[in-house]
Amino acid sequence: MKDLHVSRRAVLKGMGAMVALPWLEAMMPRTLLGAPAPALAPRRMAFMYVPNGIDMANWTPAAEGALATLPATMQPLAPFQKDLLVLSGLTLDKARPNGDGPGDHARAMASFLTGRQARKTHGADIRLGISVDQFAAQKIGHLTRFASLEIGCEGGKSSGNCDSGYSCAYSANLAWRTESSPVAKEVNPRQVFERLFSAPGKSDDKAARRQHYKQSILDFVGEDARQLKSRLGGPDQRKLDEYLTGVREIEQRLDRVEKTVDVVAPAGAARPTGVPKDYREHLRLMADMLVLAFQADLTRVATFVFANDGSNRSYRDYGVSEGHHDMSHHGGKKEKKAKVQKINQFHIEQVAYLLGKLKSIKEGNATLLDNCMLVYGSGISDGNRHNHNDLPILVAGKGGGTLKTGRHIRYAKETPLMNLYLNMLDRLDIHVDSFGDSKGRLASLEG
Amino acid sequence: MIRLRNLLSLNCVLFGLLACWPVRTHAAPPAKPTFAKDVAPLVSRYCGKCHGPTKPKGGVTLTAFTDDAAVLKKRAVWEQVADNLRAGDMPPPGKPRPSPIELDTINAWLDAVVFQMDCNDKRDPGRVTIRRLNRAEYNNTIRDLVGINFQPANDFPQDDVGYGFDNIGDVLSLPPLLMEKYLAAAEKISEKALASPEARKRIFIVTTQNEESAKQILERFAVRAYRRPLRRDELRRLMRFVEMAEKNRDSFDTGIGLAMQAVLASPHFLFRVEIDPRPDDPKTIHPISHYELASRLSYFLWSSMPDDELFELARKKTLREPEVLEKQVRRMLKDPRSRALVDNFAGQWLQLRTLKEFKPDPDLFPTFDEKLRAAMLRETEQFFENIIHEDRSILDFIDSDYTFVNERLAKHYGLSGVKGEQFRRVSLTGTPRGGILTQAAVLSVTSNPTRTSLVKRGKWILDNILGTPPPPPPPGVEELKDDKEAVLSGSLRQRTEQHRANPNCATCHQRMDPLGFGFENFDAIGGWRTREGKHAIDSTGTLPSGQSFKGPSELRTILKKRQDAFARCLSEKLLTYALGRGVERYDRCAIDDIVKSAGKDNYKFSRLVIDIAKSDPFQKRRGKGGKK
Repeated sequence: MKDLHVSRRAVLKGMGAMVALPWLEAMMPRTLLGAPAPALAPRRMAFMYVPNGIDMANWTPAAEGALATLPATMQPLAPFQKDLLVLSGLTLDKARPNGDGPGDHARAMASFLTGRQARKTHGADIRLGISVDQFAAQKIGHLTRFASLEIGCEGGKSSGNCDSGYSCAYSANLAWRTESSPVAKEVNPRQVFERLFSAPGKSDDKAARRQHYKQSILDFVGEDARQLKSRLGGPDQRKLDEYLTGVREIEQRLDRVEKTVDVVAPAGAARPTGVPKDYREHLRLMADMLVLAFQADLTRVATFVFANDGSNRSYRDYGVSEGHHDMSHHGGKKEKKAKVQKINQFHIEQVAYLLGKLKSIKEGNATLLDNCMLVYGSGISDGNRHNHNDLPILVAGKGGGTLKTGRHIRYAKETPLMNLYLNMLDRLDIHVDSFGDSKGRLASLEG
Repeated sequence: MIRLRNLLSLNCVLFGLLACWPVRTHAAPPAKPTFAKDVAPLVSRYCGKCHGPTKPKGGVTLTAFTDDAAVLKKRAVWEQVADNLRAGDMPPPGKPRPSPIELDTINAWLDAVVFQMDCNDKRDPGRVTIRRLNRAEYNNTIRDLVGINFQPANDFPQDDVGYGFDNIGDVLSLPPLLMEKYLAAAEKISEKALASPEARKRIFIVTTQNEESAKQILERFAVRAYRRPLRRDELRRLMRFVEMAEKNRDSFDTGIGLAMQAVLASPHFLFRVEIDPRPDDPKTIHPISHYELASRLSYFLWSSMPDDELFELARKKTLREPEVLEKQVRRMLKDPRSRALVDNFAGQWLQLRTLKEFKPDPDLFPTFDEKLRAAMLRETEQFFENIIHEDRSILDFIDSDYTFVNERLAKHYGLSGVKGEQFRRVSLTGTPRGGILTQAAVLSVTSNPTRTSLVKRGKWILDNILGTPPPPPPPGVEELKDDKEAVLSGSLRQRTEQHRANPNCATCHQRMDPLGFGFENFDAIGGWRTREGKHAIDSTGTLPSGQSFKGPSELRTILKKRQDAFARCLSEKLLTYALGRGVERYDRCAIDDIVKSAGKDNYKFSRLVIDIAKSDPFQKRRGKGGKK
């Protein structure tokens, strides 16, 4: 990305109230001969998570093959019918007890991107596995300013126990950088905005000195951490490793910032003021942030947690006063199932909002949505039974023309959800034989 | 890993009784139980049918063991037995189970022989993983270090919770995003500090601007930030920032500011470091340093750094002396900074922090508004504060004849004669209320948005008052049909009988449901009621111990007699919070001592805190590894 020949700042464009930087063919690196590289927009990958399962009767399309009519819950997605893949039959085996007893909510969220069995512990020895977004970020993160983006609308639980002997770390984090290090998410849209568009570095002496000072501070604390680490025992050393990884990431980013053009939030851009009271507004502002980050190619990998698993949030403003988790244990009652469906559809409306934004942005002859692979789903199928097979999984976007969308595909029973992620990693040029508990790749995504 | 809690709740779980509540009147277990003499007959009687020589279930044969030596050769098998026995999984439902006396015998033997726990022996103090400051601690530490209270950590990602608290070393991770925030915060703090006259006064302890003054300023700042004297080289490395600024013709302030940023981003500031002489040897038990002890105290009681007095006692190495320590704890509890115990300990122990997320249905509870929510929270906070400041008995938590209300809350409770926003102490004599269990905050956080929950309230009491948490429901169990019509049909009690009909549910629900019934006169936002719809509220109940009660006051009287169970429960919670790790089996001796001592001092709050501060797990540590 060193030889960009058009400054992004020069091509800022308005996007409603918000302004961000579109990806442009002209910004792509030139080939050695100086001719423009083929117009290949980068592919982006994001995962969206909803808790407590789905009312499957109103989720699963009646027939396989071309998506003819959408089921009730997916109605808000009608304008995007041709951009969707509904995948049925996928399973998260590692969300099952496998001898560990209760705790399906914690395990569902923990295994959703890792395909690993969470070690059952209140706190000591947290152990899971790397999540697919972080795995991808470690491979392609160096291409963008931020290796990945983690956002959501609920922080961790503020007290008490989370789920039947599982530390809250499992049910509050979707992304895991290593088997023992969850990646916290940002829940305040203002913070996300400020992080994405931090003050521009000016290329004068003062800025260079500032950069130099920053580097010196990083050197200093890095040395502190290495010295300290050598005096500590095993579990403490792991904490210092987390610290050192953080330092290294920031050093790499400083390095990248030096070598890439500035990305600034233009004057007049609406900076979110904080966490909105209204949940819909909150979800939509976060979706805006995701769109901005992808549009400006600040990152290509993201996770977006609508709510933590087990969430008992009330959706009163949207017609359901009771807690989501309470209702998800519907006991077969029609009335409760209808409420769950209402919540499901509310979430899908916000997905429609996001897809609409992505689709409105042109990238070459395609749209930003075309260049995305967005997975939306839950690690629980029916919230009443807590089953982890036949999961509700939706993929949106064409992965840069590599996914044949507009279809409903049913896979054989017990097909691991992780198989899907292998197909997605392929599309980011990350080729691995297995991930989590995968057993090969999914067939027929290309048509 | 087996938790201490399982051990304590053993009788309850096994028999589904509150049988462990009453003071034990039966014979004590043998002083030195052996397998051959005391345990083998019980194993043969209660386990032998399934775990005998032929076709043993699960491939586990228990009848072949002859003596302690044989047991110790296969200790893992017996640890598994202890787990299953103590979790109530074995013997399975419907099979004959050991009597409470027999169970005491087996437990005494398990502790002495299998786990080799002897309180007279050298005690294992455990080991806490290095803790980074959590958000509250970071905010308070900056406040006390720099002198400006501007809460920079509010922008940090939320800290994860383990063992019920958000200050657990193992659970507090440090993702790159947080590192980024630390650096940004360091820059902001140093800017603010240099620009604020008050903070400048605190940091620039000399007014001259030369190398010597820079050294003095930075040493003082770093010592307080690292909460210990500087090591060789540390000051010299910090001085490089001053030199760097000078070389670049930047100001003296710039140099000091950069060094401050480096200190604030250093792991020595961000983590509470405790150094082991032999970090990899679990057998080397050692007292933590006086400076480390000062930090343990200050973060326990203030969620902040030590003040000058603690630093001075650490420097003189007198802090550990029992009288000095006791005096300091009393001083610290009286200090306004002990408000942190309310915010961070009580906020999590009593789950007050979740009150802000509670959304009662406005159609069903039209009187609920933000003012009432704030008043509910304030009542319980002030109640807790009062127990600290007046050093009252912890039994006030269970039952008291006073509380704190303002006009809004008084109206909610039906108390007359209270005017205005101001909270004041009022007598509850002659009312059905008393203690935290009848405070609206606690009654609300244990309710659903549309109705009360017997089970949540019962479980809350078992978890947080009696310290005998029920195991989670077995998978696949359907919830009660608890929709509105069913409630209004008046069949609540009948419907809860389902719990008892199913043996999978009965053991635990016999413990939870009656406790919940006792508080049914309080609705989902803690208002008093005698009817729900057309049905009268029935708040009578019988505990598995056979004790019966009519209404909340009588139930509280029964609970108050379980003073040791409560003292134990509260000690466990406080110890978890104080140490930043889960309470383990080997902490049992320390907790036994704390409970015993509390009883001798009228269960005064300060006594619990002082004895925790004096306990081995608080004062000592060892290398990693060790017995599980």
